[in-house]
Amino acid sequence: MKERTYGMKWFSVEIVVLLLALLFLAPFYFVLANSFKGFAELLSDTSGLPKSLDWSNYERAWEVLNFPRALRNSLLITVFSDLCIIVVSSMAAYRLLRHPTRINRLLFPLFVAAMVVPFQAVMIPLVKVGNWLHILNSIPGIILCYTGLGASFSIFLYHGFMKSIPLEVEEAAVMDGCNPYGIFWRIVFPLLKPMTVTVIVLQSLWMWNDFLLPLLILQKPELQTIQLATNSLFGQYLKQWDLALAALVMGIVPILAFFLALQKHVIQGITAGAVKG
Amino acid sequence: MRRWLTSQTMQQSVFVGPALLVYAAIMVLPLLLGIYYSFSDWNGVSSHIDWVGLKNYKTIFTDDPGFGRSFWFTARFTVSVVIISNAIGFAIAYVLSKPLKTRNMLRTVFFMPNVLGGLLLGFIWQFIFTRSFSAIGQATDIGFFNLSWLGTEATAFWALVIVSVWQGAGYLMVIYIAGLTNVPSDMLEAASIDGATGMQTLRHIVLPLIMPAVTICLFLSISWAFKSFDLNFSLTQGGPYKSTESVAMNIYYEAFKSNRYGLGTAKAVIFFVVVTVITMIQLSMTKKKEVEM
Amino acid sequence: MKKWLTTISTVTLAGSLLAGCGGNEKAGSGTEASGDQPAGKEVTIKIMNFKVEVAEQFNRLKDEYEKTHPGVKLQVDTVLGGDDYNTQLKARFASGEMPDIFNNEGYNQMDAWLEYLEDLSDQPWVQNEIDLAKEPTTRDGKVYGMPVGLEGLGFLYNKDLFEQAGITELPKTLSQLEAVAEKLQAAGIQPFVNTYDTWFGLGFHNLNNAFAKQPDPNAFIKGLNDGTAKISDNVIFKDWTHLFDVAIKYGNKNALTTDYNTASTLFATGKGAMNQSGNWLQPVLDKLNPGMNVGILPMPINDDPALNDKLFVGPSNNWVVYKDSPVKKEAKEFLNWLVSSETGQKYLTKEFKFIPAFTNIKTDPADLGSIGADVLKYIEEGKVLGWHWAKYPDGAAPEFGSSMQKYIVGKINAVQMLGEFQSAWDKMKSR
Repeated sequence: MKERTYGMKWFSVEIVVLLLALLFLAPFYFVLANSFKGFAELLSDTSGLPKSLDWSNYERAWEVLNFPRALRNSLLITVFSDLCIIVVSSMAAYRLLRHPTRINRLLFPLFVAAMVVPFQAVMIPLVKVGNWLHILNSIPGIILCYTGLGASFSIFLYHGFMKSIPLEVEEAAVMDGCNPYGIFWRIVFPLLKPMTVTVIVLQSLWMWNDFLLPLLILQKPELQTIQLATNSLFGQYLKQWDLALAALVMGIVPILAFFLALQKHVIQGITAGAVKG
Repeated sequence: MRRWLTSQTMQQSVFVGPALLVYAAIMVLPLLLGIYYSFSDWNGVSSHIDWVGLKNYKTIFTDDPGFGRSFWFTARFTVSVVIISNAIGFAIAYVLSKPLKTRNMLRTVFFMPNVLGGLLLGFIWQFIFTRSFSAIGQATDIGFFNLSWLGTEATAFWALVIVSVWQGAGYLMVIYIAGLTNVPSDMLEAASIDGATGMQTLRHIVLPLIMPAVTICLFLSISWAFKSFDLNFSLTQGGPYKSTESVAMNIYYEAFKSNRYGLGTAKAVIFFVVVTVITMIQLSMTKKKEVEM
Repeated sequence: MKKWLTTISTVTLAGSLLAGCGGNEKAGSGTEASGDQPAGKEVTIKIMNFKVEVAEQFNRLKDEYEKTHPGVKLQVDTVLGGDDYNTQLKARFASGEMPDIFNNEGYNQMDAWLEYLEDLSDQPWVQNEIDLAKEPTTRDGKVYGMPVGLEGLGFLYNKDLFEQAGITELPKTLSQLEAVAEKLQAAGIQPFVNTYDTWFGLGFHNLNNAFAKQPDPNAFIKGLNDGTAKISDNVIFKDWTHLFDVAIKYGNKNALTTDYNTASTLFATGKGAMNQSGNWLQPVLDKLNPGMNVGILPMPINDDPALNDKLFVGPSNNWVVYKDSPVKKEAKEFLNWLVSSETGQKYLTKEFKFIPAFTNIKTDPADLGSIGADVLKYIEEGKVLGWHWAKYPDGAAPEFGSSMQKYIVGKINAVQMLGEFQSAWDKMKSR
């Protein structure tokens, strides 16, 4: 698209979108502003700016929650689950799409159907199964769970995206003597780049913010994730929002930075043109 | 490589095997176990499990207005969220695929609500609805801000829709952008040379080409809205008068609060079947409209 | 970008054939970690504590206990409060990792767990336990739980605001309460801060008043269940609506959307003089307004001072012991130590700030905070009534709460409200 299209029309559109963006950002103001307030100030003057830039909430939350440990656990879980999900589901989606045998045509809807299963319905049986498989109370165990739970969504995304990848490229590779695995990893997988980035971003957010699964699988304090640790600030009657908001900000920063970093790749994928025919 | 390594059976096992294995262990097995429990009166912990046949299912259909009420709420909620969040998500994606000066920053901004999750999201919005809105209302005297947002059935419903759209639109936007990437720019230029208006291009060229993205987005928003749990749990607690209790919440309460695990899983099974049927209909409908590139 | 992607591709390429079994291999290592069986004479008692508020103090208690009890280690997990506690407890049970000591609310919440609970009737502390605290965890004459502490429910009041309005005598009847509210309002003070946004504040805490003041609450509830008693024509319930009216009339606007946080803040900052709550609010008030001059009042429903000058007191929660625990002897010993030794008692009252449910524990009111001190006085004078919401049929309380919300906004009148209570009870008891 050429820059010539940018005129008064797009300028006004831009203003409208900017205003909408401000609206979208408003809640973040509350999180950030209130994370610097003392407990009393936070509850009595919620919408105002903090009286001073007081980092004590952050310092205390860092200590009370054993934040470095929680951060490490969350990072390990998210990164390795992403990796497993991408490998497992891109391969499966590829095969399901390119070899629509009778079994594979049945398997795809089966995978997709899992996306509509409410987690609350499987959570206790999942713990039972986890016990049989000996995957409870271990980080590899929860990674396995996330791979299983996330696979259907990712297969679904890859499956939809792969349809736009022309067969000719693969056929050419067959002529060059590539075996099926080589074709997938050397030819197809790089073409999936935009979707891979999307999958990483979407799955990371889900796992980073997930609360129920770690609650069930990781019962040992030393395995606590950021979400679990933050929740220990909520007692029966005393909810320590001052520390919780500081913890929330600290929890957002890594995932936000991650998204900002990957966002560039998304754009690169866009400019490179995913489809060259 | 030896031949057996590239045989169809081997390929099938290597490509699909791992996914199928974890999927079977983590999804299918627990689900089957759950279905098994739905025919029992298990309370979640007891060592005595009595087989009660279809009694739980009968109870749900004949003697559980709460479940029906939560279903009706969830259905209305889903329709509203799906329409609004997709409309906004697509509009933003479309505008942000144009050469706006701030588009990279804006993409980030619209996506940012997704980094907030869980119970804190509800808390923050509770503050906004109860405090900030009334502060704005007092200052400006605009009726919209002077409503008791979480206090009445209608406004609590829309409060949940607003927050869901706020969070979901950016997510859908990402997928729509990924879809719009696949629209070749020469096709758009050809259309504009042919004198097509923006709307015409959108309807006749862009939309058909991004149908895969539309399929995904519709499917996602339907299944999320149907499974909505965290937000209702933390923002309205299902109130007022249980009017915003979603099906997932109803199931959770039944299974874990009232210790009627058997009944809860029976509800989950029914719910699962309904959602599956609805999404399958949606998928087959939108898939028909997809065009091969 | 290219490099980044190639790296991932290489890693995944290498792992592609292993991905299926890699998971299982990793899973194997998890087994070793979970098997911490007591080796030799050293035993570990696993405790799952739900009071997040006392987590730090509990860890200090653990250190002291381990010092004086060689060979016994405590593993205290203070995970989460509320619903999440029960969810994780169920998960631990399903995973075969049951704690040796955990919490249970008693009554029907105990039904599910009963077959796994150790009978504690023979424990020395049972004879010192006050009667009120026994009911929730007693089944067929057997005691299954040890109360963690007592909590008192009533109207919290701001002593400074009362003084400011010239109130010298505390209200003991409904007329007196209404007079107090009028005086406060005349002095420009909001009399009540109400939080009516959740069903449990209404259905549990508020409506308990009408059940507790029946001549024999348990007989009344039994009557409701077998159809011989009715809420709709009950005098006490009618009287209770009058108190409800007074609280609504002299309460804040938008009580239906005033949540617990907002109400606590309004009350702590002197924006209202009374708030239906209990001594559990003390730590919140201490944070919001340290040194606040606050006490607790009974909730009168009519003009009978003998009936109304009482607080509603119950055990906040109970400790229970897992029957199949390999260390249940040590677990019971620990619980007994907690309420019989000097150190244990000191922690209960001075550190945890619990109102003890045992007559042999001497408590200095100053340790408990001003609300707890008031509650303690009422307990010592025997002017207490019980908590009965756990005896409602499952699912009735949310229905009560929503009927009360409808009443507050004027959708239904008092007669209709009591009628709805009755039909909610009838509907829920059959299920």
